[in-house]
Amino acid sequence: MTQVKALILTGFGLNCDHETALAFELAGARPYRVHINSLVDGTVNLADFHILAFGGGFSWGDDHGAGVIQAVKLKNHIGKDLLGFVDAGKLIIGICNGFQALVNTGLLPGLDKNYTRRSVAITYNDCGNFRDQWVHLTANPESPCVFTKGMDQADFPVRHGEGKFIAEPAVLASLQANGQVVFQYADATGSPAGGVFPFNPNGSLYDIAGICDPTGKIFGLMPHPEAYNHVTNHPDWTRRKQQRQREGQAFGAEETIGIRLFQNGVAHIRERFF
Amino acid sequence: MTACIEIALKQSLGDAEASSLVKKADSYFKIHIESARTIHMLTIDSELKTQDLERIRQEIFTNPVTQVSSLSPLEIDFHWCIWIGLRPGVKDNPGATAMEAVEDLLGRSFGPDEGIYTSKRYCLSGESLTRSQMETLAKALLSNPIIQQFKIFSKSDWHPETGANVKPARVILDHTPCFDFIDIDSDQTLAKISDQRNLALNPRDIPVIRQYFLDPEVAAQRQAMGLSGPTDVELEYISQARSDHCNHNTFRGIFNYTDGMTGEKTIEHSLFKTYIQQPTLALKQKKDWVVSVLWDNAGVGAFDEHNNYAITGETHNSPSNMEAYGGAITGIVGVYRDPMGTGLGSKLFMGSFGFCVGDVNYDGPLKPPLHPRRLLNGVIEGVRDGGNKSGVPTTFGQTLFDPGYMGKSLVFVTALGIMPKQVKGSPSHEKKTSPGDLIIMSGGRVGKDGIHGVTASSESYSENTPAGHVQIGDPYTQKKMHDFLLECRDEGLIRFITDNGGGGLSSSIGESAMISNGCVVYLDKVPLKYPGLDMWEIWVSESQERMTIAIDPNDLDRFMSLSRQHAVESTVIGEYTDTGKLHITFQGKTCAYVDMDLLDKGFPAWEFDAVWLPPAARGLTEPVIRKPEDFNGLMTAMLARPNICSKEWILRQYDHEVQGGSVIKPLVGVNRNIPSDGSVTRPVLTGNKGLAFSQTLLPWYSKIDAYHMMTCTVDEAVRRLIAVGGSMDHIGGVDNFCWPDIGYDKKTNPDGRFKAAQLVRACRALKDACMAYEIPLLSGKDSMYVDGHLEGAFGERIKVSALETVQFSATSVVKDILHCQTLAPKSAGDFVYVAGITADELGASEYYDLFGKTGANVPQVNFAANKVLYRAVEKAVRLEMPASCHAVGRGGLGIHLALMTMAGRLGMEIDLSQVPAAAETFSDDVLLFSESAGRLLLTVPPDRKPVFDKLAKGLAFKCVGGVTDAHDHLKVTGVRNDMIVDLSCADLDKAFNKLFGEMI
Repeated sequence: MTQVKALILTGFGLNCDHETALAFELAGARPYRVHINSLVDGTVNLADFHILAFGGGFSWGDDHGAGVIQAVKLKNHIGKDLLGFVDAGKLIIGICNGFQALVNTGLLPGLDKNYTRRSVAITYNDCGNFRDQWVHLTANPESPCVFTKGMDQADFPVRHGEGKFIAEPAVLASLQANGQVVFQYADATGSPAGGVFPFNPNGSLYDIAGICDPTGKIFGLMPHPEAYNHVTNHPDWTRRKQQRQREGQAFGAEETIGIRLFQNGVAHIRERFF
Repeated sequence: MTACIEIALKQSLGDAEASSLVKKADSYFKIHIESARTIHMLTIDSELKTQDLERIRQEIFTNPVTQVSSLSPLEIDFHWCIWIGLRPGVKDNPGATAMEAVEDLLGRSFGPDEGIYTSKRYCLSGESLTRSQMETLAKALLSNPIIQQFKIFSKSDWHPETGANVKPARVILDHTPCFDFIDIDSDQTLAKISDQRNLALNPRDIPVIRQYFLDPEVAAQRQAMGLSGPTDVELEYISQARSDHCNHNTFRGIFNYTDGMTGEKTIEHSLFKTYIQQPTLALKQKKDWVVSVLWDNAGVGAFDEHNNYAITGETHNSPSNMEAYGGAITGIVGVYRDPMGTGLGSKLFMGSFGFCVGDVNYDGPLKPPLHPRRLLNGVIEGVRDGGNKSGVPTTFGQTLFDPGYMGKSLVFVTALGIMPKQVKGSPSHEKKTSPGDLIIMSGGRVGKDGIHGVTASSESYSENTPAGHVQIGDPYTQKKMHDFLLECRDEGLIRFITDNGGGGLSSSIGESAMISNGCVVYLDKVPLKYPGLDMWEIWVSESQERMTIAIDPNDLDRFMSLSRQHAVESTVIGEYTDTGKLHITFQGKTCAYVDMDLLDKGFPAWEFDAVWLPPAARGLTEPVIRKPEDFNGLMTAMLARPNICSKEWILRQYDHEVQGGSVIKPLVGVNRNIPSDGSVTRPVLTGNKGLAFSQTLLPWYSKIDAYHMMTCTVDEAVRRLIAVGGSMDHIGGVDNFCWPDIGYDKKTNPDGRFKAAQLVRACRALKDACMAYEIPLLSGKDSMYVDGHLEGAFGERIKVSALETVQFSATSVVKDILHCQTLAPKSAGDFVYVAGITADELGASEYYDLFGKTGANVPQVNFAANKVLYRAVEKAVRLEMPASCHAVGRGGLGIHLALMTMAGRLGMEIDLSQVPAAAETFSDDVLLFSESAGRLLLTVPPDRKPVFDKLAKGLAFKCVGGVTDAHDHLKVTGVRNDMIVDLSCADLDKAFNKLFGEMI
């Protein structure tokens, strides 16, 4: 294997597969968009890949809790393969609906190496509605998360109706103690939002936007890094461009922090597996 | 056996749905609920073992962290409990996904008599609550009798064991499918039957229909197939095909147009041919980028070297007026099938909405089917769920308010797709059906829903309108089908594809079989939601999420295997032929056998009388308004008006970035809360090209003259495109007409002739504008009869007609997205320019409307001057001269300077005396609020000013002030050199967010 192979799930109402595939490609991986049924019927073998991406979307319409039916189906049909993938030290990223699916399978938070227990939940936004907005995130430098290595902050869009992270106090304390809180919603200065809307867009406890398992190899987040795949995705890009031009600098060829996040994952695989 | 799972959020968690109910009950009806909880219910109509029920309850339907659940009624205390469930036959999307999940987990399939049905109950506490208050909530807030049913329980009505005692909402028709022969012994008989059966046949068509079936040769051929007179299936087919919705009889009709002043008469033979088709075909000759227009489900233009884009726009008005959520979600999901069914199929990459509704705070005597507030909430949510769950970004949208829309609200939905130019070496925009091709129906199943939708939307809304055509779209099923069909396309399996929308199979097969010149359809093969549908019902049902596809029989196995992989149902239901006959059978028996060219058998065109009276002859004059003294107060009052103020809360509910190609978003500025001129999207993520998109609605100008309404609407759409970075070289247009009834009737429609004249004038204007700006009309639709007969205080019914409305959508291709621009000023020290001439054109303006006036000086478009100006702005933006660019629209310079100030969070100092004006004598209010077309605002950095001035030389550009960081105020100096406006960003924000700022 000379290429980092990333499997991006598709089908059953998932919808961010094309841009997630592009993000992996820009990050140097070879992306494969694979229908959930192809894993279920064995046409495609999960073990052939290094990174598994649970992408955004509305799997099964999110009718019975976001990501719930997707989690039940995967657990039911390829539960063992998933655990084997984790055991092999490979990477899993869940974005938005994918994050919701990861917490419903139990792959997150994976406390005490239990990857099947549901101990946290992502529920309806406090604001009562689906919401699309860009958020500031502050990254936890103590986190083992391989995807956010070297990051201190990031801006990504959130687009969800169910993004409020909740957990019992004891679970939350473990997450904090283990450095499993990867991203927190932040205000314009980069400090955690302290629950203040709209900086914290959904009322998540402890401003949690993303968590990882204790090994840092399974990562779930509500914001969409793949939607920041080009400088022009950022809502401030026209302003930044003016500033840069007035400072006599070029604008447009920069890599985005969204792509960097995927690069970190790809680099980790290269280090570990090649 | 029926089981019921009840699920609720744990009490320690906030129940947002219940909180919203408490809030609405209080603010809408002054009903004070102390506390409330929502319980979700699943009624399982299946023989499941107890341990299986337990397993699905725990593993699928209960989140251990957030929820509690039980197989018996949850013990949650209440004073009143309201149960809401769907009526049998109404699409239950969560019920369907629940079934899918249960089947997958338990590894067993549900039989035809089994099912899962979802419903809800609300437990409400409050000592003082009464049964009649509960009825109010159930009827006016929680349910709509068209699709839902409710039960109310007091504490003493409630049995802890039986609970809400929900019965499965199963459809049982208990009917043996059949077809009927229709008596055509006289025109009168057929007219009567048409009435009874809701066929909506036009009286002028009846003799033609009879003549066909009475033709001895036809009769002989039919007899050989076992048919005598026409069958109901055949008449339904004719009715669908001849409906105004499918056949566009109005736009293809004959208009006898009289100028009421001069008496001059003109005959318009076909508005469509003269004002839409001819100019578009002429422009297609000139414009290389125009690929396919005027025949397919959407128009096609070139995007880049390898890809084309498809665009179309629709309305879904009548259903949305009766069931707002269901109508709107069906509308957006429905229009998304059009690009999917264009050429060999395109991938959706963006959509947009336009809502026109009555006053959301209306408290007068008229009783529309749904209060505007409830209706608006419903359509917002419907388009939101439909768009978001389709995985398609909604990058643009507008919401308008006018009392006329209480008669009928308008819901515009627009869809764009992207497709490779070539599929397996053949042009993707071409397709055909050939004899021997299989007819396949993919996607949803057929039920009674949507029957006679087309004919109902071709009539005004009245108390007799059948409600059965209201549906609930299913974006989940459609998204699966979308992904499936794109794979089929890329493998070259699709020979022809079209969607099932209005008219169902009757339209999709009827029209596609014209190409091969015949078909045979086996109606008994069509998969049904429940048994018992008559043949004509299967044939015309508008059940959603279905596509009709033609494939080579050799490809059937591969097609079906992909279909299974994507969990999409596909069925072979017939075959295309070249027999010249539309042949339909049911279990081997023929139930329709007519000539494919039957519809060309001389059906008469519709005819309308149109009489035009110019505004002066109608008594319209300018109001007399002396110059105001408090411009600060005036500006804030204008900013707070419903049609100007912030609707951020609506736009934020739409995912506008999915697919990762967002360049210019619907909300821009430092605080990302000012509506953008247009959107720009990268449908091809590996390239630097963008698709610029804008839409305009200016129906108010129709109060004076629909000609100018149309020209101003097109002009603004073009201007918006230019502002974000579009090019005059490539502008595609989509016209969506919504018009009140134009058929004159002395009693029921006394002003029909005037409205007909307005339509003719709008069409003339459309051609003038399109030819001037070289805009081919890639697509267009019309929705007539936007009137309602609303019940008043005394049981009278008053006709309320919507304004003559056209939504115009425009597209352009941006060569390099890095040149795109927003309306927000970006730096202090920049100069502010006004481009374009301001004239005394306050007719039907927002300013006059503030005082309840209309006036007569409606804005008029100077195409020649604007074209030169727009070219100059386009060039300036492309060369990166301005730091911001904004099209001036509704509300005039005053409002649009305020929007820019709020967007940039910088001060703007403006001198009105410098504004390029048609006369020097204008007063400040004219300069601030005139809505003259053709104007833009730009900010230009000092170092780029010299080259910009050079480019602008000789054109109507004028520097009118500057951007400053010394303060964050909008300061406007009037023509007498006095400071007339001085408002801080905070003042402006407050006014702009006054009406809807609380909404999230």
